Amino acid sequence: MKQTLQTIVICCIASFALPALAAEQPITDAGTLDETSAKEAFPAKPPYSPYAGRNFPTRPFFGDTHLHTSFSMDAGAFGCRLTPQDAYRFAKGEEVTASSGQRVKLSRPLDFLVVSDHSDGFGFFPQLMSGDPGLLGTSQGRRWYDQITSGKGAQAAVDIITSFGKGQLPKGFPLPGTPAYRSAWQEVIKAADEANKPNEFTAFIGYEWTSNDKGNNLHRNVIFRDDGRKASLIEPYTTQPPLGSPNPRDLWKWMAMCEEKTGAQILAIAHNGNLSNGRMFPIIESFTGKKIDRAYAENRMRWEPLYEITQIKGDGETHPFLSPNDEFANFERWDKGNLDLTELKKPEMLEFEYARSALRNGLKMEAELGVNPYKFGVIGSTDAHTGLATADDDNFFGKTSTSEPNPQRATHPFIKTDKATIMGWEQTASGYAGVWATENTREALFDAMKRRETYATTGPRMIVRFFGGWDFEPTDTNTRMPARLGYTKGVPMGGDLSAAPNGKSPTFLVAALKDPIGANLDRIQIIKGWVDKAGKTQEKVYDVAWSGDRKPGSDGKVPLVENTVDVPDATYTNTIGAPELIKVWKDPEFDPALRAFYYARVIEIPTPRWTAYDAKYFKVKMPPEVPMTTTERAYTSPIWYTPGKS
Amino acid sequence: MKKLIREPFLHFLLLGAAIFLANHFLSARVDNQPAKIVITQGDITSIVIGFSRTWQRPPTREELDGLIRDRVREEVYYREAVAMGLDRDDLIVRRRLQQKLQFVTDDVGAPAKPTDMELSEYLKTHADAFQVDKRFTFDQVYLDPAKHGERLTQDVDNLLTQLRQHGTSDLDLTSLSDAFLLEHRFQGAPTTEIAKQFGDKFAAKMAELPVGQWVGPVQSGYGTHLVFVEDRVEGRLPELAEVRDAVQRDWTNARRLESNEKFFNSLLKHYQVVVEKIDPAKAEQKLAKAK
Repeated sequence: MKQTLQTIVICCIASFALPALAAEQPITDAGTLDETSAKEAFPAKPPYSPYAGRNFPTRPFFGDTHLHTSFSMDAGAFGCRLTPQDAYRFAKGEEVTASSGQRVKLSRPLDFLVVSDHSDGFGFFPQLMSGDPGLLGTSQGRRWYDQITSGKGAQAAVDIITSFGKGQLPKGFPLPGTPAYRSAWQEVIKAADEANKPNEFTAFIGYEWTSNDKGNNLHRNVIFRDDGRKASLIEPYTTQPPLGSPNPRDLWKWMAMCEEKTGAQILAIAHNGNLSNGRMFPIIESFTGKKIDRAYAENRMRWEPLYEITQIKGDGETHPFLSPNDEFANFERWDKGNLDLTELKKPEMLEFEYARSALRNGLKMEAELGVNPYKFGVIGSTDAHTGLATADDDNFFGKTSTSEPNPQRATHPFIKTDKATIMGWEQTASGYAGVWATENTREALFDAMKRRETYATTGPRMIVRFFGGWDFEPTDTNTRMPARLGYTKGVPMGGDLSAAPNGKSPTFLVAALKDPIGANLDRIQIIKGWVDKAGKTQEKVYDVAWSGDRKPGSDGKVPLVENTVDVPDATYTNTIGAPELIKVWKDPEFDPALRAFYYARVIEIPTPRWTAYDAKYFKVKMPPEVPMTTTERAYTSPIWYTPGKS
Repeated sequence: MKKLIREPFLHFLLLGAAIFLANHFLSARVDNQPAKIVITQGDITSIVIGFSRTWQRPPTREELDGLIRDRVREEVYYREAVAMGLDRDDLIVRRRLQQKLQFVTDDVGAPAKPTDMELSEYLKTHADAFQVDKRFTFDQVYLDPAKHGERLTQDVDNLLTQLRQHGTSDLDLTSLSDAFLLEHRFQGAPTTEIAKQFGDKFAAKMAELPVGQWVGPVQSGYGTHLVFVEDRVEGRLPELAEVRDAVQRDWTNARRLESNEKFFNSLLKHYQVVVEKIDPAKAEQKLAKAK
């Protein structure tokens, strides 16, 4: 009974599709670097003062773009009691009491947060006593109003409930479900606007559009750049017809309408392709059975600059089936079925679920359509339904309030159907978004997301720089300010390179600094994807920088780093690895006629997984199949290369 | 699922529901008076407003017809489900109703506007929450322990001597530091910001450093730093006028929690609560059986 209930709750709402509606919109492009514009932006000789004229981002801001509170119907059903206000307080570093009654605090504050509650079913929350003249005209209404405004609210509440029980409510009393009730949307907006403090903490207004067509996850989080003045002009888009639709094309149409009518700027971030059973990054659209067309590609590009590549319900970079030569591909896999486990996974679905294969297919589709539908940057987020944005393994408060720390949470089924089971231990303590914005404000962060200058981490707040250009040289790693050089000679993560100068191969400046209170770094890798001469997509992983004096083997691969994890004690030491890695790398197999993308992956040394901290704290023995160590990582947004005339 | 189908309680429920339904329809037929569903003008207005808020335009005639059909369907299912008692044993419905009542009383229990006196008092008793951070203007030079190895202590000393001779004005600090992804100069950085970038220990150490002098080594999670604190602005408790909104929000929230608790207790008074003796052995037996 309980399992079925969980399944029902998790899968929320399944519905049928409206006819696809395509909107033709121009696409925006992020920072194509050609020589003239580069020269204009950066004069040949820098000013004497290294700080003068600097307007590039100097540090990344860390946050969560995907967090649920009790305003989400399913979170509430799982016992979440925390409100959006609580969620913002917690993200700002305050100690709060979790729904399970435990005190909890982040290791350090986050820089920003989006509370993204499900839009379906969130308009029912009540507003009472707004000073409605009809209600105030009755003697009871007047009395309650006066009691409330004079601070005797509790007394009024008892009176109202009693009257309600006796059927003696005054005429005009705003019952739940009537328009007189304030919608939750107004509450969400108010909570975000109150918590937002420019240059200290950014609270975005947002919601999740939870399309769950036949149990297949097509969810998107919608984020507003603006404040409540614009956001309150509209109400969130839902997935249930007739008002809403589960088809992303309809969401994009709504977004276009919203921007046009209200002047608000919005973007959407999809997540958990791993639970979409082949529908997240389609070549054939599941709603129509037709091939993706140019309108789909343009709209997806326009509205969805980012993809949430890692979160509690598994990691979405790639899968061993898709990347058999990638030693780090088998990471926190959730590949048993769709979101509610009503349909099992088939290997042929995987290609259309993971970020790396989507980036590869995107290149191929661009050659056919003229537009790349899957030219996205990446971020990580939690998708916690607890009001608590925790992604650290030693401070992990789980997916739902029932999976907040307790001795059974690892060995309890998370979802169970007659087809498959996902156990509690399979939850991943992940992740956060790193955003290279010029300052910590809604506007600057949003704009950085739009230009894809972002990266994902599985929890640790490591700093990752990634620049691509034609003229980086090995000696550039000696520069004391790699960022200045990076922006001067290249484009940052999320950018474009095109039309290779004669005889040149793209060069990349990549650097990573460990989390100041976290583990050392094992290595930096660059992942290249491309379309070969035969029109087939390819990928390759290059080790480019690593700690210690390890020598690459004959296959070019650097041996695994040692492991210092003491599992029973849930500790590790920073006696291995490096605090900082930096390297200039040149593509050794570059063909200027072929489309390609490059992104960096930073791997930490092995550390205890949250299951090890649980085993130690609760003195429980984990079953042998439970992983007790992990290798945390960061993924950057790619830099794309497009052939063309130089 | 299979287990569920064999569950006798489920059979019982279904049977009960069937009897209830039959009774319901039979009795409805007896008085030959079908229950009425009226979609009022007010309902239609609210449907139109709802649609317009999402789509920024009123619904077309067909769309409105569809919305009304949907409302009727919802009402029919809702009434039948409630009649069958499907809401009673449903964890989600129960919690949702609890939440709903909480929201109602949240609003009702909302306190009146506080006076300045009350706010000043609150600010004083919750000084920690409103304290303005200590701020630092400082330069730092980084030494990577891996690059310096055994020479680290010596290199720190040499660099410190060099820096002390020059002060900060005419030195390009970036050329003395090992490559480092963070800034070398920080202008009025609050302690929390320093802690975010360098870690707690480094930030705590900053408070102890003398002003106007190169000192070191100072350790962070990255390695070794030499630091020159140019200016330090002590933390302070702000005036009420500076933080009025924030104090009022917190005050209101605290009152709300208080009044919610009061309200719950006043409801609780109407009940006699009996909790049977907790017997862990019995619970475990049940659990084992369920597995």
